[in-house]
Amino acid sequence: MNPKEQHGNFSPEKDAPKYADLLQCMRCGFCLPTCPTFALTGRERSSPRGRVALARAVAEGTFEFTSAIREEAFFCLDCRACTSACPSGVRAGELMEICRTQAHQQQPQPKWQTACRDMILQKMLTDPKHLERAMLPARLYQKLGLQWLLRNSRILKLGPQWLDKATAMLPPLGQPLRQQLPELTPARGKKRGRVAFFLGCVMSLMYAEVSQQTVRILSHQGFDVLTPPAQKCCGAPHLSEGDRQTTRQLAIHNLELFLALDVDAIVTDCAGCGSALKDYEELLEDQQDTHKLQLFRNKIKDISEFLSETGLRTEELLPIEQAVTYHEPCHLCHAQGISRQPRELIRAIPGIELREMKEASWCCGSAATWGLKFDAASQQVLDRKLANIAATDADLLVTANPGCQLQLDWGIREAGMAQKVIHLTELLGRATP
Amino acid sequence: MITKTAIDQLTAKLGSQNVFHQPEDLLTLGYDATPQLAGSPDVVVYPTCSDEVQYALQLARDNDLPVTPRGSGTGLSGGSIPAEGGMVICLNRMKRILEIDEENLTASVEAGVVTLDLFNTVAAKGLFYPPDPGSQKISTLGGNVMEDAGGLRGLKYGVTRDYVMALRCILADGSELATGGKSVKDVAGYAFKDLLVGSEGTLGIITEITLKLIPPPQAKRTLLAYFADIRNAGDAVSQIIAAKIIPSTMEIMDRATINCVEDYSKIGLPRQIAALLLIEVDGHPALVAEEAAAIEQILARARATEVQVAKDEIAAAKLAEARRTALSALARVSPTTLLEDATVPRSMLAETFTLIDQLTQKYQLQVGTFGHAGDGNLHPTVLCDERNTDEMHRAHAFYDQLYEQVLAWGGTVSGEHGIGLAKKDYLARQIGSGGIAVMKRIKSAFDPTGMLNPGKILSTNKNRT
Repeated sequence: MNPKEQHGNFSPEKDAPKYADLLQCMRCGFCLPTCPTFALTGRERSSPRGRVALARAVAEGTFEFTSAIREEAFFCLDCRACTSACPSGVRAGELMEICRTQAHQQQPQPKWQTACRDMILQKMLTDPKHLERAMLPARLYQKLGLQWLLRNSRILKLGPQWLDKATAMLPPLGQPLRQQLPELTPARGKKRGRVAFFLGCVMSLMYAEVSQQTVRILSHQGFDVLTPPAQKCCGAPHLSEGDRQTTRQLAIHNLELFLALDVDAIVTDCAGCGSALKDYEELLEDQQDTHKLQLFRNKIKDISEFLSETGLRTEELLPIEQAVTYHEPCHLCHAQGISRQPRELIRAIPGIELREMKEASWCCGSAATWGLKFDAASQQVLDRKLANIAATDADLLVTANPGCQLQLDWGIREAGMAQKVIHLTELLGRATP
Repeated sequence: MITKTAIDQLTAKLGSQNVFHQPEDLLTLGYDATPQLAGSPDVVVYPTCSDEVQYALQLARDNDLPVTPRGSGTGLSGGSIPAEGGMVICLNRMKRILEIDEENLTASVEAGVVTLDLFNTVAAKGLFYPPDPGSQKISTLGGNVMEDAGGLRGLKYGVTRDYVMALRCILADGSELATGGKSVKDVAGYAFKDLLVGSEGTLGIITEITLKLIPPPQAKRTLLAYFADIRNAGDAVSQIIAAKIIPSTMEIMDRATINCVEDYSKIGLPRQIAALLLIEVDGHPALVAEEAAAIEQILARARATEVQVAKDEIAAAKLAEARRTALSALARVSPTTLLEDATVPRSMLAETFTLIDQLTQKYQLQVGTFGHAGDGNLHPTVLCDERNTDEMHRAHAFYDQLYEQVLAWGGTVSGEHGIGLAKKDYLARQIGSGGIAVMKRIKSAFDPTGMLNPGKILSTNKNRT
């Protein structure tokens, strides 16, 4: 950290918000109507403007980093809707991510919690093999019918609430995709280029079939697809939990690995991963060569961004005679500014009718582990979304991020609604011969 | 300081979800959008009905607490900052639209209704509520009335005051005052309503408002004119008005503003030009076409380098939306954004731009200017850094000198932002000691102990014990 930086009561040993970034907020309040947590509480301190003001007071030394500030840092969904709305360029979500780093330094939690967190973030999530092994019990649990048994016996209701919700959210688990995908999936038809595929952890473990479709579409569109098996987690969960140091380690690994490949683009179908990968540039600015960081940043493409830029070959697409509505993942529309492209792809499928829902870019209440930590609040955010989905009366709900998909799929089932939730590439996959 | 008993009483009456006194809440309810100003209340309450406002005021009086009303805190003169601590009454949770009367063309609302929510609700019924301050997406109507907010449509449609038909408010003594009504004409005694509009919470706390609605214009056309010299743009404005055309909107942005707005909105504004005018005409389709054609001719004569017509309503709405972000977008450039609200008779626009230019040079500052050119209402904005004391001195000297001339031209120190804390000294220069004395007498007639929003508009009269 820059020694001249004003820390105030932020701990100088950890990442701290830059004072200039905090001063950037001129308190106009344009963020207020876009913030889901402010909509829930109507309380200024739970708004982007309020959170930035609190962080500024800590940086100016007029406030301690209190437990209430810690709470607000974690209560922020990090949905970045305020970033889209802010004409002054304040990034309250990122500032809160950074404050979470401080939270662990300044407000130590019980030992078992810290140990558990470190085990998950620093051991399991940093090595895909560990993560895959850790998921084995969950797969067995489903395979042996234990899930059905436990859910119906209501034993889970005795445990913590989040555990019950988490197990109910799990989709049917199969073999992780990382173990199945060949290192090279060759292009079909006239070859247009060569891309690397960044396989997200959740996609590999829980939505293997979706990412399989992504690779198939890329190949059908004329691209060689390289999937390096040595790739690691993008580091998004660590950013979200305030462990920026581990993200940096993962970032350096992925950066070196992918830049060594001779590819036109690095494509992902996970909005959360895409956003984190694009953040490497800023995360590593003090450690890595600028040119190298820019090169990497410019190659990272969400699948819809990539297909829209290269132009979708539509001549062979099969018709799908269904009405769909599209939920914009926060980390796609707000964090990456990708809003138009997914809609273009949907409309490119013959026969399909895209019905816009109200507030398509309003968070679904999943937000990494937020939905488990703030169960009741998450339900309220979800209910608002479900009402907007129901109003469209569409057959399918399309989205483009596994976190949203888990939450919406679960929410729709619980609410007894008719829509089937599918990832954008699953939809495109259906239309791809 | 507030006692624990008082907090307990408030909590018992309003509910714990509507009473806050944690330091984190007090910090975040001590500011509005005015740079460099903040206060710290002792307690914040969110009444949900007029009775609760009455109760809170009564309790404040019994405990000798000053009271500051607050909406969404988007004001630009410090009106909702609790300058002397005490109690902040947030009216955001009183947000019911009580009635839309289509026979009398009125809407009755609670004070916390968001401006744009009312606009949308009446638009769905084929009606129009014109005042549209920059912060309309979140500003409350109560706040709009208290500050007499303007907006982009002021030129043709007027400002908030022109739409207020009736008000209900709670006075300092705890009594309720209802003034005005749905009648188009009303000359019964003193016009309290007009006194309360723009009173910035110093005379009473507004709980309910009845607003005038009008039928929307049938057609609109939006033009965008670029200029190589901002003074030409100023002349164009005067010439359009002289041609007896009253556009609904006539907004100006200078180069600095254009660049900041373009950085944020990316709608393709040219970055090299010195100024642009955003002009909207509305009304009967035939008249709109005629006026737009006449304006195009005037613009060409006034040496506009290019004139564009927005191709459809979406494109037009994008332009207006982009203009609304001007102030916040300027905040990208520097840590501190000082904004003023100088307003001159329209015929003096070109001179005002020259003056701003000269003063910018003289005081070595970075200034972005935008505003409601058609109203002569400009927002010269100094982009500075509050950590640089020398620069801050120069910025204040800049405004001092600017206002001196604005007043000499018969202008005003505030077109639409209010006096609040920020412009008290300038007010005295404008209306003189005689004016201030009358204002003080009015203030003490409404609020003898000076408990309502002390320190705003007028310096505190320490009548409180």
